[in-house]
Amino acid sequence: MKSDYMIKAENMFFSYTGSAPYVLSQINFDIKTGEYVSVIGENGSGKSTLIKLILGFLRPVKGNVFSAASKTGYVPQKSDSFNSDFPITVLEAMDSYRRLLRIKDKDVIYKALEKTGMASHTGDMMRTLSGGQNQKVLIARALMGSPDLLILDEPSAGIDMKSQKEIYSFLKKANQNEGITIISVEHNLDAAISNSTLIYHLLRGEGHFCLPERYASEYLKADRQEGGSGC
Amino acid sequence: MLSYDFMQHAFFVSACISVLCPCIGIFLVLRRYSMIGDTLSHASLAGIAIGLLSGQNPVLGAFIFTSICGALIEFLRSWFKKYTDLILTIVLALAVGTAITIISSGKLHANADSFLFGSVLTVTETDMIMIMTLTLISVLIFIVLYDQLIYIAYDEDAARVAGVRVRLINYFFAILVAAAIAVSIKIVGVLVLSSMIALPVATAMQLGKGFKTTLIFSILFSIADIMLGLFISYYINVAPGGFTALVSVAVLMLVLICKKAGSLLRTAGKS
Repeated sequence: MKSDYMIKAENMFFSYTGSAPYVLSQINFDIKTGEYVSVIGENGSGKSTLIKLILGFLRPVKGNVFSAASKTGYVPQKSDSFNSDFPITVLEAMDSYRRLLRIKDKDVIYKALEKTGMASHTGDMMRTLSGGQNQKVLIARALMGSPDLLILDEPSAGIDMKSQKEIYSFLKKANQNEGITIISVEHNLDAAISNSTLIYHLLRGEGHFCLPERYASEYLKADRQEGGSGC
Repeated sequence: MLSYDFMQHAFFVSACISVLCPCIGIFLVLRRYSMIGDTLSHASLAGIAIGLLSGQNPVLGAFIFTSICGALIEFLRSWFKKYTDLILTIVLALAVGTAITIISSGKLHANADSFLFGSVLTVTETDMIMIMTLTLISVLIFIVLYDQLIYIAYDEDAARVAGVRVRLINYFFAILVAAAIAVSIKIVGVLVLSSMIALPVATAMQLGKGFKTTLIFSILFSIADIMLGLFISYYINVAPGGFTALVSVAVLMLVLICKKAGSLLRTAGKS
């Protein structure tokens, strides 16, 4: 039976030490299939930690997080686990990942790269690509194997405005036309407001959902320095 | 020169080293773990000492003890997450401590010195069979784990999402490093062994090509370094390990100079 949620968190607590104080406290949410959720919050609010819990890289200290995704695509933050000096071409990076996913058809590489407008760059070295191009290749890589859930960690960090526009337009289409559920950690509030169907605001380790329109009006009104949730 | 049995053995083992070391070295270098190669090559000295003490083949002793030390490094990584250098110090203390204690006890019925500097005279037929077996098995494992190893080195999180069991592969990789060291130790010697793991890769990386091309050139540079080192060391009558290391550095310098000269010429051509 198909579940009505894509990701569900139940009374989840997490800290890196395994005890209080918690980075994330009493997190409860249901992310339904087909949503585009932007996770926002100040630095250190636990956004990337939440993503790592959803991906299963970390385990909650208390509570649970469930994923109903059959295939998950992940676009990491460039500075995280990523070796940006690695000598690898776009085609090698895609082809190697295709084999890891056990996809036999080599055409998926070109189809995914075409979708993100990077099909003409297969012979380029990954380290010589601009930030925007790099991100488009990583999105193309995450799309191989037709995931039903796409998780992105700050997809527009360090990227020029033109590439940001192209990336968000592409993500919106993937969500609306292909029904891919998207969870994206965002520092770009404008992008979060204009693209997502829901915003999940983390504040001091606790999370709240709100609609982007409501967040926009509240956010514009609220004095951010007072630390209002905006929801 | 090739009419001597010992030189034929030496060239055969060198061919094994030339293939295996860069295959493993490329991942050590790209994961910035070159010093692990150095630590494990020192750890192999303890394995040799244990092998000689127990009357077993020292190459087998080196392989087993170095595998244990490699696995220990991987295990300690979860305890000292941000302190890789500290882990290496701990393993180095254990290994070198063991080696010195055994060697200085006077209970060894063989000379361990040749393992420090490398020697063409000490490769027996039993060694050759063991080295060939280790090389074949290691290259086979390398081919099977090729994509997993690439992604663990390139983007570990993406590898996890694709279902790669990173921890398990890291343990396998520790065994591969141990195999590369055990294969090389007789000819190259403990002291400069890490240079054979890292330098051909460092040289190939200067070409600025993709992964596969870098790997192929690492193997080609490794063949050139070791064969040239072995050939010249025979004629000037010095230990092959030290001279091979010197050749590796010379080839790296030559490639760096050519690269710089090429870029200067291109700049001059444009202006």
